[in-house]
Amino acid sequence: MIATKDNEILLVEDDSNDAELIMRAFRKGKLATRVVHLRDGAEVMDYVANARGGRGMARLPKVIVLDLKLPKLNGLEVLQRLKSDALTKDVPVVMLTSSQEECDIAKAYALGANSYITKPIEFDAFSKTVTDMGSYWLRLNRTKRKNEGDM
Amino acid sequence: MKATSPYSPAAHEMALLQERLDLLRREHQGTLRALDNILLERRELRRVNAAAMNILEDLEEEKCRSLDAQSALLNMLEDIEEERREVERTRAVLEAVNRELEAFSYTVSHDLRAPLRAISGFSRAIVEDCSEALDGDGRRYLELIQDNVHRMGILIDGLLAFSRIGRQRMNTSDIDMDAMFHEVFHEVMAQEPERDIKFVHAPVPPLNGDALMFRQVLVNLLSNAVKFTRGREGAVIEVGYAADVEGGAYYVRDNGTGFDMQYADKLFGVFERLHLAEEFEGNGVGLALVERIIARHGGRVWATSILGEGSTFFFTTSGVKMA
Repeated sequence: MIATKDNEILLVEDDSNDAELIMRAFRKGKLATRVVHLRDGAEVMDYVANARGGRGMARLPKVIVLDLKLPKLNGLEVLQRLKSDALTKDVPVVMLTSSQEECDIAKAYALGANSYITKPIEFDAFSKTVTDMGSYWLRLNRTKRKNEGDM
Repeated sequence: MKATSPYSPAAHEMALLQERLDLLRREHQGTLRALDNILLERRELRRVNAAAMNILEDLEEEKCRSLDAQSALLNMLEDIEEERREVERTRAVLEAVNRELEAFSYTVSHDLRAPLRAISGFSRAIVEDCSEALDGDGRRYLELIQDNVHRMGILIDGLLAFSRIGRQRMNTSDIDMDAMFHEVFHEVMAQEPERDIKFVHAPVPPLNGDALMFRQVLVNLLSNAVKFTRGREGAVIEVGYAADVEGGAYYVRDNGTGFDMQYADKLFGVFERLHLAEEFEGNGVGLALVERIIARHGGRVWATSILGEGSTFFFTTSGVKMA
């Protein structure tokens, strides 16, 4: 059986400014009981390996917010691994990118990303989008898990 | 009866001599004829020889000429080869520049945005989290930071749009410029419903070009015309085609603020502005974009103006289709 931690959000973001501001937005929006912040793709793989090793049940976040441009393993590679792993493939992934110049949107969706956010320069818009997107997937995920539990 | 002469040895001798003489004479004549023939033949031979020499000389000349032609051809081939290498070098340089430009626009979009987002985010965080520690000035300064972040965001987006135009693949088709002028003017006016502008529209010829790019040209020129006639009583914007100007040029004329012609060369530069941002908003790339698009269509854009009376923007393109 797979259990998810209570409203845990996994944030993968190498820019410490963006990470701090995103976590602040989650806090303000009272979105998550816990936010785990990782800085690169390799750390995500370690995190997933730990979750798999959890005694009796794997512990997974409700939503993964994943930056596209990461050191070591980039965002698309991480996404591909998450979506091809039976353990993690159902966890919603919201991709983050810095600009519309990056034409990887289609690639990300093809790999199974659930949403895509372009970080706007003005942070009000950004924190609102991130909060809305996070709460949408949290709610959706909760309903889905509940349905699965009913079955 | 046959008269017979009496035998005379002398006469017989004489006859024999006579006979030999005749023979000799005949032989001599034969020799003379043979000599004549030889002379004739020799003359003939000499003529043939001379003719042959002439032919040889001609051939020699021909050979020289063909050698000349050959070396000219070789030179030409070498020139062509050199030209080709030059083109190849230019192409390589252009490709390098293009790659640099792409790297540059990526840098602009990614690396300049991130710190700006941090400035915006943390100054907003100060307003939200620490407002009781701020007095009126402090809050106002933070508002100013937000305004400037906003402006810099517009500049970055403008620069990106500008670099994108150069890289974009052209998608050409026949464009009904009359319809496009009309549509774009009404689109631009829809953004400014309180403005009352007279639109004078003379018929213009169609052209072959990238429709999205030409739409951008018209949007930029017409929204400039609308912007710079702000505050003008009886504002008029006129569009048309001047067949006698540089072999035919489309134009957009307004009776707005105009500009000082001594700065005309700055008009189309990136981030060049001839007016204060407080007077007339803009990201400083509108006309640079227009110039880039027109250049990609083999044309030219320029403007004439009288300060306080208005400006006319002309553009040409190699794709005009005359009836």
